[in-house]
Amino acid sequence: MNHGQQSGEAKHEDDAALTEFLASLMDYTPTVYFPFIPDDLVEHYLAKSGFQCPDVRLIRLVAVATQKFVADVASDALQHCKARPAPVVKDKKQQKDKRLILTMEDLSKALREYGVNVKHPEYFADSPSTGMDPATRDE
Amino acid sequence: MNNGGGDGGSQQRELPGKRKLFRGSDFAFSIARMAVAQICESVEVNSYQESQTREAVRFSSFHESALEALTDVAVQYIQSIGKTAHLYANIAGRVDGNSLDIVQALEDLGSGLGFAGFSDADHCLADSGVLKDIIHYTGEAEEMPFVYSLPRFPFSKEKKPAPSFSEVGPEPPDEHIPIWLPAFPKTKLCDRSEETNAATIEGEIPRKENGSSLPSMQHSFDGGRLDIHTSPKDVRESPKAVVEGNPFLTAPLRIVEKNVSPVVRPLEISNEVVRTNHVADKHMSNNHHIPVLEASASSDKINNMNWLAESEDGEKEDVARKQRTLVRFKIGTTKRSTCLAKSRSFQEEGWFQENEDKREKKSEIKEKRERIDSQLSTQM
Repeated sequence: MNHGQQSGEAKHEDDAALTEFLASLMDYTPTVYFPFIPDDLVEHYLAKSGFQCPDVRLIRLVAVATQKFVADVASDALQHCKARPAPVVKDKKQQKDKRLILTMEDLSKALREYGVNVKHPEYFADSPSTGMDPATRDE
Repeated sequence: MNNGGGDGGSQQRELPGKRKLFRGSDFAFSIARMAVAQICESVEVNSYQESQTREAVRFSSFHESALEALTDVAVQYIQSIGKTAHLYANIAGRVDGNSLDIVQALEDLGSGLGFAGFSDADHCLADSGVLKDIIHYTGEAEEMPFVYSLPRFPFSKEKKPAPSFSEVGPEPPDEHIPIWLPAFPKTKLCDRSEETNAATIEGEIPRKENGSSLPSMQHSFDGGRLDIHTSPKDVRESPKAVVEGNPFLTAPLRIVEKNVSPVVRPLEISNEVVRTNHVADKHMSNNHHIPVLEASASSDKINNMNWLAESEDGEKEDVARKQRTLVRFKIGTTKRSTCLAKSRSFQEEGWFQENEDKREKKSEIKEKRERIDSQLSTQM
């Protein structure tokens, strides 16, 4: 009995955490730019996949979850970019002024951990025989 | 997954893809790209230098193809959350989604990387590790400055449900129409009186959307049930704009001879000639084709001739048939049994021509008969 009561109380607390969080989500008015993803956009994509709910707080929850996902991926990519040995040519002038750019390589490495395989071709060619030796080309 | 956006995002590929291939030029996609760019900008990694100073490193720029790929992944993430949450709601026998459905969906998506408490068989959903991560992230992300944040986009929903009868007027026009059906669009008579109103209402709509568009969108999302109190003007505005330009609601054309510009006949043949019991040949013109059937008195002969005329006309000149064909029956004394197609201008020269022209026409006819025969032979 005690255990049941305790678990019941614990459930109330857990629910309280969730409800508190959902309530705090709604405090973000458009004046404060959080979450970064607009609600209408999230609602559009959710409706596209069939999820229907009249509650705005759930939309915000999904928006925050997506933001967290993208931020995680971006931070992983940033760490990969930073971890790459910087080509320091001139030590005197450059003081680690490396401008970090989000490239496809870093992104594909970061996304691989999340189960998304992104492969970027190195170059695009007009035809299969472009760039080959003119002697070996069939003309 | 994708071949790297680059310039190919705006081009259309020929693959019958599972997802939309115009995503590069999609409006929602471009908004999502801005949002993702904003998120990437705000991500910072703290690094500790040798001098023990804490340095926050951020992205300074992106490759466009990388940004498009990340946006694509984010969009698919949202869609998969929706799909999985919808699935869980359906399993529970519900149509509308629940917060717990979303939590379950997030757990499904996060199961690849794992989160705290996933191994517990009977853990409470509201206490899920996924939620805790999100709450933690929310607490952290709030501290970042929002200096470079872009203004909110008014994401306007295109479809607006038509107002039902109960919203538009007190009663539907007829008794057999229930009030919950959408109202009839207004006809042009009503539009003129409300055109001035429409102009002022249109000016108000963009201002409304720039403000808090969320409640109005939410109400419109409810399928029009709550449309009454929120922006009824918006709802009424859309069917009006459609009605004004609706071709199906214009007055039907009356069957009257229109004043068409006079067509110059190359062959000056009038019905008067036929009337005088001359041999009526097949006179057909190339340019304009208004065959006039000269029929004798009996009705079945008329029908035969009609049919013959049409079949012959149809064989040879199909293009001209698209013009209006004027069929006039004339009771004459022609002895020819074959069809007689006459070209005649739209101008009402009258069945009765002056007698002086008759003799001139007779000689002309013979010449033209030969011409026509030669034309027919060339056509065939």
